[in-house]
Amino acid sequence: MSEKYKFDTLSLHAGHVPDKETGSRAVPIYQTTSYVFNDTDEAAALYNMEVGGHLYTRISNPTISVLEQRLAALDGGVSCIACASGMAAMHLVISAICSSGDHIVASNKMYGANINLLQHTMPRFGIETDFVNPNNLDEIKKAIKKNTKLVFGEVIGNPGLDVMDIPSVAEICKENNVPLVIDATFNTPYLMKPIDYGANIIIHSLTKWLGGHGIAIGGAIINGGNFDWSNKKKFSTISGPHFALDGISFWEEFGPSALTSKIRAEGMYNFGPTLSPMNAFHILQGIETLPLRMKKHMENTNELIKFLSEHEAVSWVKHPSLDSHPDYGIAKKILPKGAGSVIVFGVKGGREAGKNFIESVQLSSHLANVGDAKTLLIHPGSTTHSHLNSEAMRSAGLTDDLIRLSVGLEDVDDIKKDFEIGLKSVLKSR
Amino acid sequence: MYLKFKNIETFISTGGKKLNSNQPTICFIHGAGQNHFSFVQQIRYFASRGFNAIAPDFPGHGFSKGKCNSSIEDDAIWLSELLQEIGINEFVIAGHSQGCLTAIEFNKLSLKSLKGIIFIAGSAKIPVNDFLIEKAKNEPEKAYKLMVTWGHGKHGSFSISEFPGHHHLGEGFKVMEMNHKSALINDLSSCNKYEKGLDELKNINLDCLAILAKFDLMTPLKFGKKMVEHINSCECHVLDCGHFLPTEKPKELNKIIYQYLKNLDI
Repeated sequence: MSEKYKFDTLSLHAGHVPDKETGSRAVPIYQTTSYVFNDTDEAAALYNMEVGGHLYTRISNPTISVLEQRLAALDGGVSCIACASGMAAMHLVISAICSSGDHIVASNKMYGANINLLQHTMPRFGIETDFVNPNNLDEIKKAIKKNTKLVFGEVIGNPGLDVMDIPSVAEICKENNVPLVIDATFNTPYLMKPIDYGANIIIHSLTKWLGGHGIAIGGAIINGGNFDWSNKKKFSTISGPHFALDGISFWEEFGPSALTSKIRAEGMYNFGPTLSPMNAFHILQGIETLPLRMKKHMENTNELIKFLSEHEAVSWVKHPSLDSHPDYGIAKKILPKGAGSVIVFGVKGGREAGKNFIESVQLSSHLANVGDAKTLLIHPGSTTHSHLNSEAMRSAGLTDDLIRLSVGLEDVDDIKKDFEIGLKSVLKSR
Repeated sequence: MYLKFKNIETFISTGGKKLNSNQPTICFIHGAGQNHFSFVQQIRYFASRGFNAIAPDFPGHGFSKGKCNSSIEDDAIWLSELLQEIGINEFVIAGHSQGCLTAIEFNKLSLKSLKGIIFIAGSAKIPVNDFLIEKAKNEPEKAYKLMVTWGHGKHGSFSISEFPGHHHLGEGFKVMEMNHKSALINDLSSCNKYEKGLDELKNINLDCLAILAKFDLMTPLKFGKKMVEHINSCECHVLDCGHFLPTEKPKELNKIIYQYLKNLDI
């Protein structure tokens, strides 16, 4: 992709220059619902998508646009839509491409809400999904049908930390003329840009590392502009006539940015999963320090992997940077700067020991989020999955003793001291 | 719209509108290595304001198949034949960059139905440096990258777009990548060998319009101004942006063109 400035510079500047009227160096928060038209001609042009601009914040907003343009630049895309959450982003993509009777192929090792949407909600609207092992290329090939409209996966799976072989899956998608949609929340564009490896559409939960502060929910769709939507029969929603705007074909009129033009004109307009301008501002503040934070996240992660691997109270540690991880090879290839700052590990003593560990730590926060600047922990066996027995846990890819750790930016010695307290309680409970 | 022209599938953007033979036409001519997507914020605008607005993809560009033309003269003849094929009446041509050279050459064909010429970020001579020629020939993707980064002004480089969420450099690169791989080298070679532009300008007897870019590194402003000086009647505007003026400053550009078209009374 083509950039004049490097990543760290784009993190600070892309999408914004000080405005001429006020000279404001920071991105202003345009906390407004609507925009005064200069004249009726301008209003008509905006409604008809003849030129760009803002008419109503449900559809676009100047503060949100700065965020969108920054994300598109960072991920090497052609355009971006920011929206209310990562889940909203996923729904917008599916609804832009798929209709009743269509089919999706998705990884079976994804974030639970992603699976729920595809397994339970979308079938009610006639869209079926086959779930596959994301690194079984034959399984993916076999699952693609004539009516398959997209393949969906995560770069780094949550919570199993499986790493998808994006280049190989992208090749399969290209051969079958199906777009590859990738949730890249765990890696952020700092660690890896899936578009560079052949993915076509990127989804982020901005709530996590991109925001980094745990104060704002948001999502984004980055359009790689690298998919050929010309098959009008297969991709009628993108290349066929639109129900409004003189029946235009988004593909013929907007080309590389056809997908996001469609989402702006239909998904944002008709569903309205709008990001608030204030949240866009907060997330922009986070992105300004993304390179610095991700570097520190990875330094701390590497230290903690070593610490946990050597600790007598820890039975196992899983992270794609460890050669014991089944996806170590692909992680090394596509995530050379690091395979994310989530570690999963088991404590000796099973479910009760895991509970003791969580209740003993003082610095780390026990909650259901990842990608905060602060260290976060969760023990599914005593929280999200506490209703499941051991066997049911295993079939969900979890174990009684599993703890998910989202490594924060504190001094790593303090995190180790905190864990030492928790792990001592594990040893005591045995 | 698609049509078979000279037995080759050819695409002409019409902004999603049907052509109306009772309306005047503005025909946008894309630049080197570009296609109709250069004018994504012009076509629908003018197509909704009483004009047929068209932007053909020249052979080997965008959605048009076929072998690229090998000279500016060939481009001009191809365009005139295409316009006759689709049967439009009075029209104005608006060239961007290399499209300005095509427009100069097109004027020579003395079509009575041509009522005006618009020059956007162009000049009468567009020499291309050997380095870019070499890259376009052997590593076209590197050439796209160079052109896209040189071609955008400050706002474009910082990904500031009037179209919410659009990233100029990423989009510019992909637009170029949509063409046949030989398109850019063909176009740059055509520009390089077209040296008679300044002499031809004196033969333009129409009221013209030039919209030039202050920070144009591809066809620098001083050369654009020189072109304007050689035209008998040419209104000139300079906008605060780079070479990719139609996407960098679409609203200002559209207003200037619209006023020009109104003044022409076509």
